[in-house]
Amino acid sequence: MKRRSDTSGLSRRALVKGGLLSATATFFGPWQHTRVLAQGEKKPIKLGLTCDASGQYGNSGQDDMRGIRLAIDEFNAKGGVLGRKIEWTTADTETNAATGTRIAERFITQEQCGFLIGAVHSGVANAITQVANKYGTIYFNTNSSAPSEAGENCSRIKFVWDGNGTNFSKAAVQNAVQKIGKKWLLLTNDYVWGHTTSAATKAEVEKAGGQIIDNLLIPQSTRDFTSYLLKVQQAKPDVVAMAVGGDDMKALRQQISALKLEEKTAWINNQQDWPDIWGAEDTLFGVFGTNWYHLLPLPGVAEFVKRWQTTYPQSPIPVPGNVSYNGYIATRELLRAIERAGTTSNHAVIKQLEGHKMLAADRMQHFDAYIDPVTHQVQQTIYLARRNAKPVDKTDLYEVISWTRPETAVDDASLEKCKMKALADVPVFDT
Amino acid sequence: MSLLNLLPHLLNGIALGLLFSLIALGFMLILGLMEQINLAHGSLFALGAYFAYAICGAKLPLPPDVLVAWAGVPLGLRFATAVVVAPILVAPFGIVLERLMRRTYGRDPLYGLLLTFGVAMVLEELIRVVWGTRDYMMPVPRDMSGGFIMLDLIWSTYRFWAAGMAVVAMGAVWFIVERTRFGAMVKAGAHDSEIVQALGIDLTRLRVWVFVLGTMLAAFAGVIMAPLWGIRPHMGVDAVVPAFLIIVLGGVGSFWGAALGGLLVGMVVGLSGAYASEWSMLSMYLLLIAVVTFRARGLFGKKSVLEA
Repeated sequence: MKRRSDTSGLSRRALVKGGLLSATATFFGPWQHTRVLAQGEKKPIKLGLTCDASGQYGNSGQDDMRGIRLAIDEFNAKGGVLGRKIEWTTADTETNAATGTRIAERFITQEQCGFLIGAVHSGVANAITQVANKYGTIYFNTNSSAPSEAGENCSRIKFVWDGNGTNFSKAAVQNAVQKIGKKWLLLTNDYVWGHTTSAATKAEVEKAGGQIIDNLLIPQSTRDFTSYLLKVQQAKPDVVAMAVGGDDMKALRQQISALKLEEKTAWINNQQDWPDIWGAEDTLFGVFGTNWYHLLPLPGVAEFVKRWQTTYPQSPIPVPGNVSYNGYIATRELLRAIERAGTTSNHAVIKQLEGHKMLAADRMQHFDAYIDPVTHQVQQTIYLARRNAKPVDKTDLYEVISWTRPETAVDDASLEKCKMKALADVPVFDT
Repeated sequence: MSLLNLLPHLLNGIALGLLFSLIALGFMLILGLMEQINLAHGSLFALGAYFAYAICGAKLPLPPDVLVAWAGVPLGLRFATAVVVAPILVAPFGIVLERLMRRTYGRDPLYGLLLTFGVAMVLEELIRVVWGTRDYMMPVPRDMSGGFIMLDLIWSTYRFWAAGMAVVAMGAVWFIVERTRFGAMVKAGAHDSEIVQALGIDLTRLRVWVFVLGTMLAAFAGVIMAPLWGIRPHMGVDAVVPAFLIIVLGGVGSFWGAALGGLLVGMVVGLSGAYASEWSMLSMYLLLIAVVTFRARGLFGKKSVLEA
């Protein structure tokens, strides 16, 4: 029996030579190829998504992230920004300021994130701001609406995208004092957003000639509101203004509805986040503020909703709400600002953002918006809504009853409270 | 502050306290009788609520025609079925948990603590996978829902039904632990397991039954609390913290300690919620500090695993 090498005419030496050649080619080939790629491809721009996945705002944080990721996907589909691909990383900030601090530090120092995006809880947003301040990293607070975020806790590196408690109060309070009554009672979530929002409501009520008869502070994670609701009944206010958020708000609404107390007095919820009502639709009552709704009859809204739904067919919330919208718009504007700046250097990007005007049609709102150069808060259309008695589908929960111009709802107090350091004093940061 | 104004808050505190006691009951059973700190108690509580929702809301994995027929059954009957069946459906989770915990018996309690913490996270994720992250509302029969007027104020009808069911559950547990042979064996097993085994009692099986009972009580509490708190994946965390606090406050292993501890916590939370609202959540911790400062083992406590 002949050996295979004999039949093919190959000697052992030829085989060894061939093997060596192949091995050499294999070894050098990929290295060379990788070098070429490295020379041709630019370093990606990396975004750190500081979104809650658990805690009081776990649901909202994930909805925020869906909007942020959609914007990133759309830019990557166009080839990225400045020829650089957009990458992202995320970690659960747990609705916890200490966790937010730790994650922000890690994203900047270990994961080379050039920008931080995402927040719902004002305590977490402020904690992330402190870390970003240290390095000069630009931070987009997408959804925390405490007036303090663009007031006493403002920062040159931070941009605030949601309407805040004062904006919503200005849109709602004056009319309610005149038409409903002067005796107001406040229900306040006992943390920064609740306090600053209720303070803004109080100021507006008193300015309109009303009176605050009591302010009940509700600790975070309260699940049983009976004692507060008994107190509300004993006080007999004309209006109850709520600054309660996240899962706490869901439980509160549920308990008010169970007692049918929504018919006994007027209820105003400063801001109703979409993830806080989805799943508890039966408990929607009173008047509430928002900065966007997925069925606004405006150009681009339906297309945006469609793109969002195509991207997230399995989303626990079937349509984008204000939280996802804010995440999307904020991220899109950040990437556009980098494009306009032609660099990821923080100073250049900040210059592009300060005072930047955004057209209503582009933002899918009723009025043009702008980034206030003094506070870095986006001044935008503020909507008031109530439960929709004639929904067109199961997601059509809101009836939008008014839309207020940005200049009418502007937070004047923040303009005085916000003291930013000069851009020249911000550490230069680039990735 | 007039007495008439104070009275509603006292009544509310008592009702809240009974509900807190109900939540703590299963936790007390496993910690007190088996000296195991079951941090998965809250997740079993949440599972009870979800199963009850599935039964009550006709959201079961059954053929469509069966589901339609079940949905046509009066809500009162569906709710009653949920109260009975949901704890039974959760019981196997307790059996599996007990099986997992066997290797931790007789060892540092931290092993059991870590294991049950891990199980709690797994169960919460399981809930997210099966039911998603959205909230659910538990339907309540018409006769038990809505409000009624007392002292010129609107009160939740269901809240009083829930407090009543808590009293019944507590009575049943007291009877089982204090008045049955099973209860005597369990208590003896917790006190001296070697002697109990020497007497020919199957301690392994006994432990399984204690876990099943504790699990079913957790699930029962979840069913009862679901219409009040709403149903969401992490609702277990809202239950396990006060449960643990009540057990330490009342004294580990003491039935009456858990009952009284729950009532005290409910009264303190209810009253502070009305008159010093910012202190309402903190008040239960202040109460705990006040009690353990003077009675380190709680109101009715004896030496326990927590001192090991």
